[in-house]
Amino acid sequence: MTSASWSVMLVVTVNAILFHAMPRFSRPDILFAVTVPEAFAAGAGRALVARYRAIVWSGAAAALAISLLLPAPRPGSGRGGLLIMGVVAGNMMVALAAWLFAHRKARAHAVPPSDVRVASLVPRDTSLPGGALFAGGPFAILLATALLVYTYRRDVPDGAGSNDSLGFLALGGVYVAMMLTMAVSLARRTRQIAVDGPAAAAEQRFRRVNVLVLVLTGYAAAILLSATTVGSIPAFGDTVSGSVGFVLLPLMLFNFGVTFWMFRVGQGGQRAVAPAARQEVHGDATPDHAWKVGGLVYFNPHDSAMWVENRVGFGYTLNMGNPRAWLLIIGMILGPMIASRLLF
Amino acid sequence: MAGAVRVSLNLESPTPAYRQIANDLRRHLVEERLKPGDLLPPVRQLGVDLGVHFNTVALAYRMLADEGWLELKRRRGATVIARNAPRAVDRRQADHLLRQLAHIAAELRSVGMSSRQISSALRRLAQGARP
Repeated sequence: MTSASWSVMLVVTVNAILFHAMPRFSRPDILFAVTVPEAFAAGAGRALVARYRAIVWSGAAAALAISLLLPAPRPGSGRGGLLIMGVVAGNMMVALAAWLFAHRKARAHAVPPSDVRVASLVPRDTSLPGGALFAGGPFAILLATALLVYTYRRDVPDGAGSNDSLGFLALGGVYVAMMLTMAVSLARRTRQIAVDGPAAAAEQRFRRVNVLVLVLTGYAAAILLSATTVGSIPAFGDTVSGSVGFVLLPLMLFNFGVTFWMFRVGQGGQRAVAPAARQEVHGDATPDHAWKVGGLVYFNPHDSAMWVENRVGFGYTLNMGNPRAWLLIIGMILGPMIASRLLF
Repeated sequence: MAGAVRVSLNLESPTPAYRQIANDLRRHLVEERLKPGDLLPPVRQLGVDLGVHFNTVALAYRMLADEGWLELKRRRGATVIARNAPRAVDRRQADHLLRQLAHIAAELRSVGMSSRQISSALRRLAQGARP
């Protein structure tokens, strides 16, 4: 087996595992991005899931077999690389087609959306986990690093000038600001689906963990950027390179922990709630017809929610029918572009 | 705030959304499930939860503020306040509501309810029972 075959095997296996697990991520009464009766999802719907998974793994096995038959890529020739990319892309297409096929089949069992919407009159906690002071931590880290770089500006070697370093730190600040904007909008502009009881509590916990992940992503970016910048100053180089792992390791472990926890509790934390406690909750309070491309994109101009629960995968996605969502996307694209244009 | 206090919105109802929200809120206020000092969710939050524009919720809050049930403060949301009940009866408003009630009574007669059944149902509703 060539090294290329090993790479294909790794990518194809990860892809297959991801697609295999995909139906497990949804709420218990959402199957292949379609709202169905929970009894169907737990009963007859399992045959649909089994058929979908069989196609996903057959595609993966075929991709692997083809990669084994491919000749080893010759140095300097791009043809071998292209063939490998083609095999990986083909495998991805098969998995996606299997999803779309299952989505179409599940639509025959869709439950009509309810005409009645219910909401709690109890205000919920929409603050950032840890408060504003904790959320501002990454800015403090970047500012402290900037002050250090400015103090030791004469010690920074040529080619890694302090002006460039300060520019990168400012760009890091823009990235952190973007993460915090997303965290705030996620905390405030997401619909609460379960009105009260354990289902509502689980949903609120799930949302707050997602918000915390965004805040901690800002911390990780600030720490990494600061460590790289401070590492370029000779007086701190050795100390920083040895200690950065100690700070980043807990963040990485937290991310793994969150992924595992989300897999266990499912979308909105609802798989961890007893069926009796979520009897009142049905679906994710979004109409099926507003989900496009097999449940990947949510487009509903009549829905005031900016963020809605993902139907493919964990977490939340933007309502592309909401002008505020587009403002956020444009801000996310233009923010770093304008900042780098101004700084460098 | 006592237990589960909810507001519901029927998309198929001919009653405008802001009026449905105000009606539900008023019911909770009259039945004292919402008490003076209770804070209501911000208009944007309730709007997102119900899937309506925040102005729809703001209109319902304003309606109840005009009736003396709520105090609206910029950026601090709506708070339930102690209402000086019973207020002087607004004759014009009462006549308007009684006319609506007369239409509903006629509709109830036409679907087969006797006047005795209607009056006993009205008595129960006036005492705070659910339909």
